[in-house]
Amino acid sequence: MDFDISRIITLSLFAATLRMTTPILFATLGGIFSSHTGIFHVGLEGLLDIAAFFAVVGSVKTGSPWGGLLYAIVACLVASLVFAFVHLELKANEIIVGLALNIFAGGLTNFLLVAMLDSTGFYQSPLIKGFSQVDVPVLKDIPVMNELLSGHFPLVYFSFLFVLIVYILLYRTPFGFHLRAVGEKTAAAEAVGINPKKIRYIGLMICGTLCGLGGTFLSLSYLNMFSEGISAGRGWVALAAINFGEMKPLRSLVACLIFGFADALALRLQQFGLPSQVVLMLPYASTLIVLIASAISREAKKNAAAKQTKIGGAAEAGA
Amino acid sequence: MKNIVMKTPFKQRLKMILAETVTQIANYAIILILSLLVGAMVIYLTGKDPIAAYQALWKGAFGNWYKVTDTLDRSTVLIFSGLAAAIAFRTSIFNLGLEGQLYIGAFAAALVGFTVKGLPTGLHVPLCLLAGALAGGIWSLPPIIFKLKWKVPVMVPTLMLNYIGILFTSYLIAFPFKDPTAPMAGSPVLEATARLPKLLRGHTLNIGFPLALAAVFLVYWFMFRTKLGYELRLVGYNPSFAASTGLPVKRSSFLAMMISGMLVGLGGSIVIMGFFGRFMGGFSVGYGWDGMMISLLAQNHPLGVLPASLFYAALANGALTMQSTTGVPQTVVVMVKGTIMFFVTVQIFSSAIRRRFQKWTSTSAE
Amino acid sequence: MAEAIAVREITKCFPGVLANDKVSFSVETGEIRAIVGENGAGKTTLMNMLYGLYHPDGGQIFVKGEEVKIPNARAAIEMGIGMVHQHFKLVPSYTLGQNIVLGIEPKKGLLIDEDSLVKSVQEVSGKYGLAVDVNKVAADASVGEQQRAEIVKALYRGADILILDEPTAVLTDMETEELFVMLRGLANNGKTILFISHKLREVLAISDNTTVMRQGKVVGSVKTSESDSCKLAEMMVGRETIEGRMRKEDPEIGAVVLELKKVNVLNSRESLAVEDVDLELHSGEILGIAGVDGNGQEELTEAIMGLRPLVSGEILVNGVNIANRTNRQIRESGVAYIPSDRNRAGVAVEAHVWENLLAGEYYIPPYSGSINLHPRSIHSNACVLVERYQISTPGIKTQTGHLSGGNVQRLIVGRELGSDKAMVVVASQPTRGIDIAGTEAIRKILLEYADRGAGVLLISADLDEVLALSDRIVVLYEGKHKEAGPVVDGIRLQVGHLMTGGEGECPV
Repeated sequence: MDFDISRIITLSLFAATLRMTTPILFATLGGIFSSHTGIFHVGLEGLLDIAAFFAVVGSVKTGSPWGGLLYAIVACLVASLVFAFVHLELKANEIIVGLALNIFAGGLTNFLLVAMLDSTGFYQSPLIKGFSQVDVPVLKDIPVMNELLSGHFPLVYFSFLFVLIVYILLYRTPFGFHLRAVGEKTAAAEAVGINPKKIRYIGLMICGTLCGLGGTFLSLSYLNMFSEGISAGRGWVALAAINFGEMKPLRSLVACLIFGFADALALRLQQFGLPSQVVLMLPYASTLIVLIASAISREAKKNAAAKQTKIGGAAEAGA
Repeated sequence: MKNIVMKTPFKQRLKMILAETVTQIANYAIILILSLLVGAMVIYLTGKDPIAAYQALWKGAFGNWYKVTDTLDRSTVLIFSGLAAAIAFRTSIFNLGLEGQLYIGAFAAALVGFTVKGLPTGLHVPLCLLAGALAGGIWSLPPIIFKLKWKVPVMVPTLMLNYIGILFTSYLIAFPFKDPTAPMAGSPVLEATARLPKLLRGHTLNIGFPLALAAVFLVYWFMFRTKLGYELRLVGYNPSFAASTGLPVKRSSFLAMMISGMLVGLGGSIVIMGFFGRFMGGFSVGYGWDGMMISLLAQNHPLGVLPASLFYAALANGALTMQSTTGVPQTVVVMVKGTIMFFVTVQIFSSAIRRRFQKWTSTSAE
Repeated sequence: MAEAIAVREITKCFPGVLANDKVSFSVETGEIRAIVGENGAGKTTLMNMLYGLYHPDGGQIFVKGEEVKIPNARAAIEMGIGMVHQHFKLVPSYTLGQNIVLGIEPKKGLLIDEDSLVKSVQEVSGKYGLAVDVNKVAADASVGEQQRAEIVKALYRGADILILDEPTAVLTDMETEELFVMLRGLANNGKTILFISHKLREVLAISDNTTVMRQGKVVGSVKTSESDSCKLAEMMVGRETIEGRMRKEDPEIGAVVLELKKVNVLNSRESLAVEDVDLELHSGEILGIAGVDGNGQEELTEAIMGLRPLVSGEILVNGVNIANRTNRQIRESGVAYIPSDRNRAGVAVEAHVWENLLAGEYYIPPYSGSINLHPRSIHSNACVLVERYQISTPGIKTQTGHLSGGNVQRLIVGRELGSDKAMVVVASQPTRGIDIAGTEAIRKILLEYADRGAGVLLISADLDEVLALSDRIVVLYEGKHKEAGPVVDGIRLQVGHLMTGGEGECPV
C-alpha cells in the first residue's frame, strides 16, 4: 500500500468533491425550504430515490437527459403533494409520514423497476441518455482552474448556482420573508395575514423540485444507471447539513462540501487499497462528528451568553 | 370494583368496550383489505391474475407444514425488531438505527460463536446471545448520550450509525475475520455448540422462535407490569407532565434506547446462530426497517407485534412462491407494505369509525 | 370631539361562561381609555372582538360613528384598528424594521427594497416620535424597543385606533414612563388609544378615562382625574362582604410547614419574576396568593416544585431547605402539586385514568414491589380514588383525554391528595376552566384537606376563590409580595387594591 499523500490529495480530488457534493446539496437546499416552514422533512431520502428512478425512465422515454429531469421533477412534485396533504390536512405526524414516504419510495421504485424496466436490483442500458460534461468557455483554458471548475456535469453548476438562488429567494424576496416567518414564529405571520398552510404547501413543493434535481444527478450524471438505494443515505446526510448550517444555505453548503469531500476521499482511498468499507464510513462518520460539534458549540454559546433578551410580552407560561 | 358506584351505567360501558373493539378490528380489516386490493390492482395492471397470485402467496406462507414452520422462523427476527421499535417509539424516541444495531449484535454473537471453543451448547448459546444483545445495546447508546449531554437530536445519529455499523461489520468479515471458504463474504463458521438447536427435525425452525415468543411476553410484562416500564410509557406520553411529577425522564430515555438496541441485537444474533451459521454480509433484508413498520402497524403494542410480524413473514415467504409460480414480482409485496404504512400513518379509518360510534355510545357522562 | 370607536350592548358567550354581557361604552378620538378588570372580567375578549379575532353574539360596534362588522384582523386593520398583543408577535431573527413591514414589504421588482423599507419605517416612526432602530435584530432589542416596534407596526398599517393588551406588564419603570410619553404624543396627534391593564397606578397616570369591567359587565366609566386607586379598585372588585365564604370560622392552625425566605426566581427572559419573596404557611392553614396572572405566580410555584431554579433564597419544608432539589425529592418531603396547566403538566392525556392516578406513588408499596407493579392494589386504589373524588369516567381504563376538564382536575387532586401524605399543597389556579360543580368540589376538597392539618398554598387569580377559601391573603404584584392579612370584612377592597399595585389602605 503506497501511501503517498501527494497522490491522494490532488486537484482531481477537489473536482470530485464538487461532483459528490451536488446531490447532497440539492437535497439540503430542498430540506432547507421545508425546515424553514417548520417541517422536519424525513422523506428526502425517498424523494431522491423517486427522482433517480423517474429520471432514468424519462431519459429512456424521451431520449434526452433533460426529459429525464422533467420526469423526475414531476414525480417528486406528486410525492411531495401527497406528503403535504397527509401531514397538513390529515394531520399525521411529519416524521412518520416522512418514514412512510421513504419506505413507499423504496417499494415503488423496486416494483416499477421490474414492471416498467423489466430488471431487478438495478437498471443499466445504453438507452439511458445521461448528461454529458460541459466545458466552461473561458475557464477551460486556465491551468489549475480548468481541472477544478470546468468539465463538470451541468447539474453540478446548477447546484452551486441554486445556493445563490435559494439564498436570494429566502432572504431577499417577500415570499422567502413570509416563508421563514411561518416557521420561526407562526403567530407573527398569521397576525399579518400570511397563510401558514399555503406557505407550507409551497415550501414542500419547492423541496420536491430540488430533490428532483438531486436525484436526477445520481442516475443521469454520477452514474448512468439506477440501482436500489441509490441515494445511499444522502437524504439523512442532508438533514445533518441543515442542522449544522442552522438552515442557512451558505453555512449548509459548507457542511455539504465536507460530506462531498469525505465521499470523494472515500472513493480515492479505495483506489489506494484501503479497505473500501472503512473508507466508505468516512462520510457518515463525518456527518456524526459535524452534528455533535455543532451541538456542543451551540450549547457552549448558550451557556456563555450574557443576559439575553428574548422576545417579550408576558412570559408565555405565566399569563 | 363491585362496591364502586360508576357514574356511567354498565350497559353504556359495555357499549364503549364493544365500540372500541369493533373499531380496532374494522380499522385493521379495512387497511388490510384495501392494501391487498391495491396489490391486486397492481398485479392486474402488469397483466397477471391477482387471484392466482394471492393463492400462491398463501401457499408460500402456509401451504404445507414446512412452509408454516419456515414462516414462523422468518418471523423471529421480525418480532425482536418490532419489539425493539415498540419500546423506543413508546418512549417517544425515534430509534431509526435498528438496522445497524442488528448487524453489530449479530456480529458480536458470531464472534463469540467462532472464537470461543470447547464450551457445551448449554453455555455457548446463551453466551453468544448475551454478547449479541449487549453489543446491540451498546451500539444504540451513542445517539441517546449525545442527546442527553449535548441536545443533539436523536434521529440522524441513529441513522449514521446504521451505515457505520453495517460497513464496520462488512469490513470485519472482509479482513480480520475473513473466511475464504465462505460462499459470499462471511465470517468463519460458528462452532456447532453455538448453533441454535432445532425444534423439529428437517425444519429450519429453531429455539429462536420460542425465544421470540418469550420476548413478546417479557416486553409486555416489562412495559405494562413493572415500574420501569410504567416510567417509560408515561415519559413517552408527556415529558412535561413526567418532569412535573418527579418521573426520571433522562433515565427512561436512556433505558428505552438501550433495551431497544439489545432486543434487535438479539434478533440479529438468532438469525446468524439459527439460520446462517456464520455472519454473512448483507444478511438482513431490511429487518430493522420492517421492525419499525411492524411496530407502527401494531400501534407500538408488544402483543400486537406478534401477529404483525407473522403477517410480514407470511408476506415475505408467500412472495417468493408467488414469484416463482406465477411470475408476479416480489416487489408487489413491498407495494402492499408501503400502502399499509400509508394507511397506518393516516389513521383516517379509525378516527372515522370512532366518530360513527360516538352517537351510539353517546356519553352523557359529562 | 368625534367618536372614534364605540360598542353597544356587546354580548359574547363561550360554552359555560358569559364573557361579555351587554357591554357598552364609547371612546372619543384622541382619547386614552383604560379598560381595567380582574382576570376573567372580559376585557381581552372584548378587545379581541374589536380586532376581529372573535365575533360578537349580540350588540353593535361603531367605528367613526358607523356601524361595522369586523370579520377578521385584516378587516380591522383596514378600518384603522391596530392591536399590540400581550405576547409580542415579532419574528426573533428579523430586524425591527423587517417585522414592521412583514406582509406588506416594499418591493423593487421581485426583491424586497431594503432602502425603501428603512425609509418608510423611519418616516412613520419619526412622524409619531417613536424612535425605532430599524436595523436592530428583534431578539437583541429590549422589551421596550420591541413594544415600540409593535406600535409602529400598527401605525405603519394606518391604525388610528390602537389597542394595547397589558402593555406595561413586561416593562421596567423607565420603559413605562417612555411608553406613556409616546402614548400621550400619539393621542395629541389624533390617535385613539385603548389599553387593558390591571395596574391602576399607571392607569391613573396616563388615561383620560377609565372603563371598569367586572364579570363580563361594564361597572362604569369614569374620568380618571376624578378617581383614585381605591375608588377604581372598589369598582373592579366590589366592596361587598365576603359572599360564598366556604372556610370555617376557627381553623386549627399549627406550626410553620412551608417557609420561603427571600426567594428570587428568574423567568425565561432572564429577568426577575419573583423578588425577595417571604412567605410562611402553617399547618391547617390556607394561605391565598392573590394576584393577576403574570406577576410571578407561575415562576414561584415552579421554583417551589423544583421545576425552575432559584437564583437565591431558601424554601423550607418542615425546616428542611428544599431549594433547587429535584421534583421527586421535594414531593417526598411532603409537598403535593396541582399545576395550573393541567393538560401539559398535570396529566398525560393519552394515558389511562389509572395510569395518571398512579403517577405519584407508583414506586412505593403497596403499588409496586422491587420491580413489579401490583395491579390489584393499583386498580383498587384507582377505583377508591375515582369514587372518593367523584371522577366521572366510564372506567379506570378510559383515556384521560376523554374526561372533561373538571374531571381531569379531580383526577389530579385525587392523585396528589389521595394518599393523605402531603403536608403542603401547592394549588395553582385549581379551578380555572372548570364547570361549577367541579369548582365546588375541588374547593371543598382543599378545605377538607386543610382541616386535616395540611398547609395549602392557594395561588389563584380568581379573587372570589381566594376570599372564599383563604385564612390569610398575600398579594403578588410584579414579583413582590404584600401581606393583606386575615380575611375579614373589607379585605376584598384591600386585596383588590394591592393586586392592582395600590399602596396603603383604602378607606373602608
